[in-house]
Amino acid sequence: MIALNQLRHERLMELRVSGLCCGVYAKFMRPGSHFCPNSKSGSSISSSSVEVKPKIPLYLRPPSFSASLSELKKWHRWAKNLASSVGSSFVRLDNGPDSTLLRRELNWLLQDLLELQHHPVILSLLESDSNENVDTSVALKAPLEELYCAWRQRIEERRPFQYVVGCQHWRDLVLSVQEGVLIPRPETEMIIDIVERVALKTTPKLVHGLWADLGTGSGAIAIATARALATHAHAHAHAHGRVIATDLSPVAVAVAAFNVQRYGLQDMVEVRKGSWFEPLKDIQGKLAGVVSNPPYIASGDIPGLQAEVGQHEPKLALDGGITGTNDLLHLIDGAASMLKPGGFFAFETNGDKQCEFLLNYIENDKSGSFCNVHPVSDFDGIQRFVLGFRQRMV
Amino acid sequence: MPPFILKRSNKGSLLIFQYHRTKTRNLCSSQLVPNFLDSNQNHKVLDSGLSSILLKSTKNRSGSFCTLANSSLLSSQNLHFLYLNPKGWIFAREFGTQAAVELCTSDGLTVDGIVGSKWMIVEESESDWKSHAAAIAQSIQVIKKRLQWKKLMVRLDLLSAELNKPDLWNDPVHAGKISREHGSLMGKMKVVKAFEQELLEHIDMIKLAREENDAELESELMKALLRMRRDSKDKELEALLAGEHDSCSCYIEVQAGAGGTESMDWAAMVMQMYKTWAQRRGYGVTVMDEMPGEIAGIKRATIKVDGEYAFGYAKAEVGVHRLVRISPFDSGKRRHTSFAAVAVIPILGDGSTHVQINESDLRIERFRAGGAGGQHVNTTESAVRIVHIPTGVTATCQNERSQHQNKASAMAVLQSRLDQLEMARQAQMNAQHTQSLTEISWGNQIRTYVLHPYRMVKDLRTNYEVSDPDSVLEGDLDGFILSYLSSSLDKDEGEQ
Repeated sequence: MIALNQLRHERLMELRVSGLCCGVYAKFMRPGSHFCPNSKSGSSISSSSVEVKPKIPLYLRPPSFSASLSELKKWHRWAKNLASSVGSSFVRLDNGPDSTLLRRELNWLLQDLLELQHHPVILSLLESDSNENVDTSVALKAPLEELYCAWRQRIEERRPFQYVVGCQHWRDLVLSVQEGVLIPRPETEMIIDIVERVALKTTPKLVHGLWADLGTGSGAIAIATARALATHAHAHAHAHGRVIATDLSPVAVAVAAFNVQRYGLQDMVEVRKGSWFEPLKDIQGKLAGVVSNPPYIASGDIPGLQAEVGQHEPKLALDGGITGTNDLLHLIDGAASMLKPGGFFAFETNGDKQCEFLLNYIENDKSGSFCNVHPVSDFDGIQRFVLGFRQRMV
Repeated sequence: MPPFILKRSNKGSLLIFQYHRTKTRNLCSSQLVPNFLDSNQNHKVLDSGLSSILLKSTKNRSGSFCTLANSSLLSSQNLHFLYLNPKGWIFAREFGTQAAVELCTSDGLTVDGIVGSKWMIVEESESDWKSHAAAIAQSIQVIKKRLQWKKLMVRLDLLSAELNKPDLWNDPVHAGKISREHGSLMGKMKVVKAFEQELLEHIDMIKLAREENDAELESELMKALLRMRRDSKDKELEALLAGEHDSCSCYIEVQAGAGGTESMDWAAMVMQMYKTWAQRRGYGVTVMDEMPGEIAGIKRATIKVDGEYAFGYAKAEVGVHRLVRISPFDSGKRRHTSFAAVAVIPILGDGSTHVQINESDLRIERFRAGGAGGQHVNTTESAVRIVHIPTGVTATCQNERSQHQNKASAMAVLQSRLDQLEMARQAQMNAQHTQSLTEISWGNQIRTYVLHPYRMVKDLRTNYEVSDPDSVLEGDLDGFILSYLSSSLDKDEGEQ
């Protein structure tokens, strides 16, 4: 039944994706094992005629494999030791994960690998030293060989955990992610709180307007915004608005569309391929809100990034030009003409200095375009977001 | 005519009518039967003529009911159970708010009387009704003791008086609390009273059956008594967990004492002991927060134990646990003594009053601060620390996979900690509370685990001990918990 559903999902995706983007081929996609790709390269995409097919996250796959408890135990012990051997060497190297974090990730990998109802029992069996039940067969969502390979990639190649399991937990969502798509960050979760607290509560009519998430990646912001719109519309007995998500990357477009469909939001979220405001020419000056987490890292900082980020995540989603502000400035300029009067914007930034720079830019170069512009700090006390409203006509 | 048997399943009692003796009794019983059938009805108005006749016979024949005033029997506020036995005696059983009336059999035998008369208690397998009855009566006494019956009655009177105040509902929150507590106490007492009444009725009936040589009825009643005897053991156990929050899930927190790696390792062993204990009991176990030691073990950790009566059991573990062993971390192979403090916090249900938390009183910060954050970093660590500024109470959760969920879980921990603080504040007024980690003094040792030079685990509160530390550390804790719960409740009642 699950397999059938997945097949249907995939078919639907193919249909949907073919309507959205004009045929691209992601080289790293191979038929068969995509849980543990042999290719190390993450973001190499070349134009070809094959379509991007989103990967099914591990936790959604059917438990069609099995291993004896003792085999699983052996793998688990090996994986745990490998994690422990890291110590704090990655922390010293590039502020990467330490072994405590890696062992926690290992537990989450097990969570996704096993059937939900069996997870607590098997976990306690794995932790215990006793040799009872070693012959018990355990149902798995991936074959054991792939698990060895996957965990080695996690530790030795520093492949991000979220790519290994194919998903990222973000707010109350579980989003599919894969190479070529930026893994949504915990900091970015706050954009949704800002949308709810600053925009929807103070200006309820924004609830039934048209919103845009630019450079949507996995679709995280677009999906969570749509859900916030629906909740607030319900509370005020309004009709809810819609969200258009854009992205230049065909992989992102495919993955975002897949996530939208998994949350049953096809009626509320439309995914369009293209750069920033380009695919939105038909709705110029009509947007109620614009939200984005655009690339904001200065090009010079890219080589020094943590291995998980620099070696595996798409540069397209990270590199914001020489000062890191290329795209943010473009978004601010665009927001001035694309938003309707009273419309709301919130962008994530590189923090503090960059945030101040943008605030100055809005004040000096865009004077009269916006009002109530201010920064908001993340939980680390870094001024992370810049937000405001488009000036109403006088 | 065969005996007419009516079963009232909701009370679990068996009412038996033999109404074939005389015409008058026939008439009485046929009028009373509808009342028994409608057990949901709380107000029973009796035909005054009939009731006065009934009362007369009660007064005449059954001494112990003399205390029952006419008005109280007929008061429509109270719930009465009346029933007729074949000899024409009428018993009034009152379940009103002033539940001070002692229940007894037709010849004045009470539960205390049965225990007092020291009937021999023999094996269950022997069909001796006196033995069954004595065992059940003894259980009822234990149950009442564990429920702190006398205190309950005082509290119930207090609550009833409060409920009768005309201005009660001017403060709906307070009124709701009072009426909820009243309802729950009434419920608790009703169950025991019904059990007691059932026993007494069975005794009456078995005596009668023997008098009448009704073997069928006698064996029926013998079976019923045996069933009660078995039930009573379960009820004794249930009564151990009758505290206000006992049925709640809970958090268990363990903190290592001074002494570096050895005591951090001990804290981790203690935490592991609770994890396996909880899993064996079928509870859900989630690690909420864990601060690992540098070399081994934990500095501090919090787990959530999900399931009915988790708090009721786990609260017995609050205090300092002491370990004596040769430390594997000491190259000199010397004997070390280390300590771990354990705190248990109930997770209050929806019906309970929670402390109101103002969002402006909270400071939320990233658990592991530092670094550029944002797109620069890919980390699966999304924990936040929530600080309640007015009290300084903090909470963290690292178990969840998104910041949103970690924040929500940390908020739940914070809520429970603040609730516990509030309970502690109110502790003088009513309910018991468990100490938080900060309140537990390191002198407050409750149990010692010795692995060397001999092997033993001993509870310092109850002197309960076992000689196999491994099984205890593998979660075999029920013996310790139950012996502590029963001893602490017995002590409480004695102190009254």
